[in-house]
Amino acid sequence: MSASLGEEEQQGRTAPLNPPADSVTGPDSPHASDVLRRLGLAILAITLSFVVSAIFIGLSGKNPALAYWSLVRGAFGSIDSIAFALNKSTPYVLAGVGVALCFRARVINIGGEGQIAVGGIAASWVALSGSGLPGFLLIPLAILAGSFAGAAWAAIPAAMRLTRGVHEVLGTLLMNFVGVLLVSEALHGPMGEVGAGFPQSPLFPEQAWLPALIPGTDLHIGIILAVIAVIVCHFGFWHTPWGFRLRLIGSTETAAAYAGVSTARGFAGVMLLAGALAGVAGAVEVLGVHYRLIQGFSQGFGFNAVAIALLASLNPAAVLPAGLFFGFLEAGALAMQREIGVPSSLIYVIQGLTMIFVLCALGISWRRQRV
Amino acid sequence: MLEMRGIRKRYGAIQANDGIDLKVDAGRIVGLLGENGSGKSTLMKVLFGVVKADSGTIRFRERALVNHTPREAIAAGISMIHQHFMLVGAMTVLENVLLGRKHGAPPRRSEVADRIRKTSADFGLDLQPDALIADLSFGHRQRVEIVKALLEGADLLVLDEPTSNLSPPEIKSLLGILRKLAEQGRAIIFITHKLGEVFDVCDEVVVLRDGKITGKSAIAGATRKDLAHMMVGRDISVGLSRTDRRPGKEVLVARKLTWRDSAGRERLKEIDLTLHEGEILGVAGVDGNGQSDLVDVLAGLKLPSAGTIELDGKNITRATVGNRLRTGLAYIPVDRAATSLVAGMSIEENLGLRDFDQPPFRRRIWLDHRKFRERAKARIAEFSILARHPDMPVGMLSGGNQQKVVIAREIGREPRALIAFQATWGLDPGATRFVIDQVIAMRNRGGAVLYIASELDEVLMVGDRVGVMSNGRLIGVVPRQEVDLAQIGLMMAGGFDNPDATPTIKS
Repeated sequence: MSASLGEEEQQGRTAPLNPPADSVTGPDSPHASDVLRRLGLAILAITLSFVVSAIFIGLSGKNPALAYWSLVRGAFGSIDSIAFALNKSTPYVLAGVGVALCFRARVINIGGEGQIAVGGIAASWVALSGSGLPGFLLIPLAILAGSFAGAAWAAIPAAMRLTRGVHEVLGTLLMNFVGVLLVSEALHGPMGEVGAGFPQSPLFPEQAWLPALIPGTDLHIGIILAVIAVIVCHFGFWHTPWGFRLRLIGSTETAAAYAGVSTARGFAGVMLLAGALAGVAGAVEVLGVHYRLIQGFSQGFGFNAVAIALLASLNPAAVLPAGLFFGFLEAGALAMQREIGVPSSLIYVIQGLTMIFVLCALGISWRRQRV
Repeated sequence: MLEMRGIRKRYGAIQANDGIDLKVDAGRIVGLLGENGSGKSTLMKVLFGVVKADSGTIRFRERALVNHTPREAIAAGISMIHQHFMLVGAMTVLENVLLGRKHGAPPRRSEVADRIRKTSADFGLDLQPDALIADLSFGHRQRVEIVKALLEGADLLVLDEPTSNLSPPEIKSLLGILRKLAEQGRAIIFITHKLGEVFDVCDEVVVLRDGKITGKSAIAGATRKDLAHMMVGRDISVGLSRTDRRPGKEVLVARKLTWRDSAGRERLKEIDLTLHEGEILGVAGVDGNGQSDLVDVLAGLKLPSAGTIELDGKNITRATVGNRLRTGLAYIPVDRAATSLVAGMSIEENLGLRDFDQPPFRRRIWLDHRKFRERAKARIAEFSILARHPDMPVGMLSGGNQQKVVIAREIGREPRALIAFQATWGLDPGATRFVIDQVIAMRNRGGAVLYIASELDEVLMVGDRVGVMSNGRLIGVVPRQEVDLAQIGLMMAGGFDNPDATPTIKS
């Protein structure tokens, strides 16, 4: 059968956004070319967004070439800058891979920010109150506490959806505000540092700091956790019955019911997992970067996680490069701002444009499939 | 009125239309008959300007149509009524008719409403301009489409499989409406793969196969057998390989099965049914009389409000879908697109849709992709599924091959009992025959089957015993030799206070 005839019959709604890259089996497999095409489209979209952003930089009176050169140096110029960028990417990857799985199961979890916030609170509390413990106990405990807190935070909108029918978009969104304000509340109350001019907790005891991955740099071991999370999620999604269930739930509810899969259980499971991953992201951020809880530390992470999941076209493995892209972009942007005076808000312009171009590119490839 | 000459259209390696000539005169109803994939849809897309032919000419009312768009086709007087209606459910009939009007000054609502009433009265459509589409039965929604086409000034109506969603009384009135339209001098192209309807309504018939015309005939000179032969290139009316066998012991037994919907209405009323080894219970009935609720309750997708279900003596009334499956209950639901298959998943994954979490497909916490592949290869060969690769998304298969995947999954595991609900829905005669053959083969091997379909002929052909679903009850179950057609017809109509009334089918 010819490809064009076959594609005509494909039901776009139920098709996953991306096929399993690992199950590519041979030259005639429909998957290999598809993955390549999507990769090409993503690169094209990123290139386009840089071209358009260059126009904006030019309009602001700076030389785009110089600006981009400082961006590249800021991101990759030294071991320190790379370490900085990797640290920035870590929470993005952790939260993003959870969001990707949620969206795959058609669970629209946009509550990453709140889940990161409470994950950070829980980890900070453990770090501050367990000062008698050695690091090899304290750090895992703090991270575990962060993951439990994040999962618990996600469990609230999940329960609201399953018992009361409140849509999770609303639930997770509103719980963001509560979570972020809870950080302020904690810092103005029991966990705040007395006498500090800024809402922040006292410095954690040193044994609670995440150890450096490369001695002499700021790079902490969080990126290892992020890579492990991506690997686990990738294999979990494509190679276990649990992942198969998620894919079924994400396709159609009737097909899931017919296959004997409980939509409610799958929904709860993927929400808790995403919440736990976001909680770990929050823990890593306070234990590895700030060494204390500070107000607003989770600012924007949750929504970037959504953007990253979409940039990865909801493929768990692709969240790693997508998250790194965002992290290095931000790291470079800060340097660009320092050296050239280009406002770092332009980086949000680049991020936004990239998202728009990527989504449009994927949209086009969609239409091509459906014709 | 319409003359298409030498239409050719190639999609990749497939010659979808290979030099087709089609002539339609005013006042005539031409049946376009062919299996799925025979080129009917492509030909109509060419006519309507949706796709461009590689070669060939179209003349409509003495004017050539060249490189035309669908909008130009409508303006010229060609209207297409699709199998799936293009109506907005939350709007009224009037609003939907207004929606379709794009050119010229916005017409006055009252004027259009009057024209709808007049057209409705002329053709006996029984349509109120201010009725909400969502409240209408499928039959009436289709009439809204017809009114839309007529008010657009259509001289040629193309109806694509117009009867596939209709109940028998609705079909009857549709065919009457088409007759009246033809009497007024309009031409109609009636696309179908149901032979009976061609004889009921068409003046002439054109048969397509593999993109070529394999037969053209006035209806007076045609026989069912000839047409069927032209359509599939083989005789489909040959007898089924049914071996006479004494029904064995009871397999699936349901007692006093009752189910109420969320509004508390009784949709199933104390249904008793028994399936024996090596026996098919065929159930006919107009859609919407509780058939879908019955299969859902038996398959475990809905829990009964009262009553019991036993499979091989084991009470499965409240068992999960998975448990029923392992006890030996297979289920072929009606809806391929959203229930029994996942279009975006591969053939091998769809074959494992219902047992992916059981050994050998699950090994500890992992899926064993090799086992999926092995089984897929075996099933593809055994059930002659036309697929390039087990890794191909199921959505890329034709409808018939998609249903083969479902059949391969459900029958391939050699179940004790099979529930088949509209298993041949939307399939061409070749694929229909394949499905029926497989069901009967399963019965010959000693399986028990509940076979529910809306086509009476099919139920009579397949069932060893035959009954009717009417208004939530299963009635009149008798052995096939004792079937009284008049009696069955009465039972099918008996669910309504007024036998002529059209039942409302909830979408």
